[in-house]
Amino acid sequence: MVRLASALLLVLLLAGWEVHCRVAGVSALVVPLPSAVLRTLWDGLAGGYLLPHLWVTTAEMGMGLAAGCTIGFLAGVLLAEVPVLRRLFYPYILASQVVPKLALGPLFIVWFGFGMTSTVVITALICFFPLLENTMTGLQQVDPNKRELFRMLRATRLQTLLRLKIPSGLPVILAGLRVAVVLALVGAVVGEFIGGRQGLGASIIAAQGMMDSTMMFALFIVITVLGMIVYQAAAGLERWLLRRPWKG
Amino acid sequence: MSFVSIEQAGYGVPSGGTILDRIDWTIGEGEFHALVGRSGCGKTTLLKLVAGLLAPSTGTVRIQGEPVRGPGAQVGFVFQAPTLLDWRTVLDNLLLPVSLTRRPQPADRRKAEELLDLVGLTGLEGRFPSQLSGGQQSRVALARALVTEPPLLLLDEPFAALDAITREELQDDLLKLCARHRTTVLFVTHDIAEAVYLADRVAVMEGGHLRHALPVPLARPRGRDVRYSPRFNALCLELRHAMDGKPDRPALERAS
Repeated sequence: MVRLASALLLVLLLAGWEVHCRVAGVSALVVPLPSAVLRTLWDGLAGGYLLPHLWVTTAEMGMGLAAGCTIGFLAGVLLAEVPVLRRLFYPYILASQVVPKLALGPLFIVWFGFGMTSTVVITALICFFPLLENTMTGLQQVDPNKRELFRMLRATRLQTLLRLKIPSGLPVILAGLRVAVVLALVGAVVGEFIGGRQGLGASIIAAQGMMDSTMMFALFIVITVLGMIVYQAAAGLERWLLRRPWKG
Repeated sequence: MSFVSIEQAGYGVPSGGTILDRIDWTIGEGEFHALVGRSGCGKTTLLKLVAGLLAPSTGTVRIQGEPVRGPGAQVGFVFQAPTLLDWRTVLDNLLLPVSLTRRPQPADRRKAEELLDLVGLTGLEGRFPSQLSGGQQSRVALARALVTEPPLLLLDEPFAALDAITREELQDDLLKLCARHRTTVLFVTHDIAEAVYLADRVAVMEGGHLRHALPVPLARPRGRDVRYSPRFNALCLELRHAMDGKPDRPALERAS
């Protein structure tokens, strides 16, 4: 019922938008007609213009996410397990959290050139921190009684890590992954703004150059749908991994 | 020969506080001893010294004549909370002590299922801990401590969070399980009736010292009728007065 109402709301909003633009004669450069946006979107998908860009952005996001999350997770495990390293690196980690990673984009273009590599690096850097932070937190939040149980059972350090700390920290770690997935899309699109030749972000810049607002709106829709798909995929993975009754 | 001997064992913290002060105590093989005292009297610390989870700052703890240097395979430990792994089934939780040392064999699985039968959890081996009641979780924790058949079992107020009826059932389960292999037991509790019902001998702790020792000459096996016998109540009262540090004569007169 509520779902129906919210779908109806979308239809109403789009209809209002369409009517207003036609009646008031708003320029398509400022706000394009929803019907025109949908037609452009359809043409772009059916005609194959958008598909390579969609593919490039998805690939950049995927690679950046995989690299950033893997490194973030491993670094989180290392820092959680070795207190000396944690004390040594934590101030730097805190400082690097605050640095706006996207501001490093121009520098990465100097280092890695225009194209996919710089975007992947930016995306990876953005995904790194939520995983690092949540892995560290998750591994350190283990119930002290359970730690003592593992000591009593003479578990090795590796066994304690693999069979106690990581499983019990998994809900926190996966929450970090969910954050990273959303940030990865932002990273990939904005990375392409700065240094991309191809991809959805680069296409937005290209459309802007041609004053094609209709195409920009069509690209927004593609990016939003892509974001929703990957977010749902991450949430689905989380549900699947935590399908067992889990309390923490 | 004594199975566990605690010799002049003390434990202090770096800030200068003494938690345990030169404790002497011995437990004979197959005996069931209880340690009672108020919260913060050091009874859990003493238990952890025996377990090898803490090292004494003075004196030694010996198990079968060997000084304790760390957690050993011959000791089972039951914590205050069930401390089950929520992401593992009951069977996996039971087999944890085995699976940390080697791959569990069908024989281990059979033994685990037998233990589940003994604690009344038949058929629940595929459940997860969150699907069990508090009493059932405590039963799994108890069975887990015994799955490797350790000759010494240490328990730290394992039934404190349970309701009275469930606690009585678990006490009977514990006595039954320990009788199977004549397990030596040291049981920490703040519940006087629990200590008297379970133990052959009760030690009273206060402020890091052992103040009093009370033998419990009740016949075994003990059942429900024991809990309500005048003899049992008199022993409880005697123990209560020992904990208060008062002479116990008036109490005994009233009880008789």
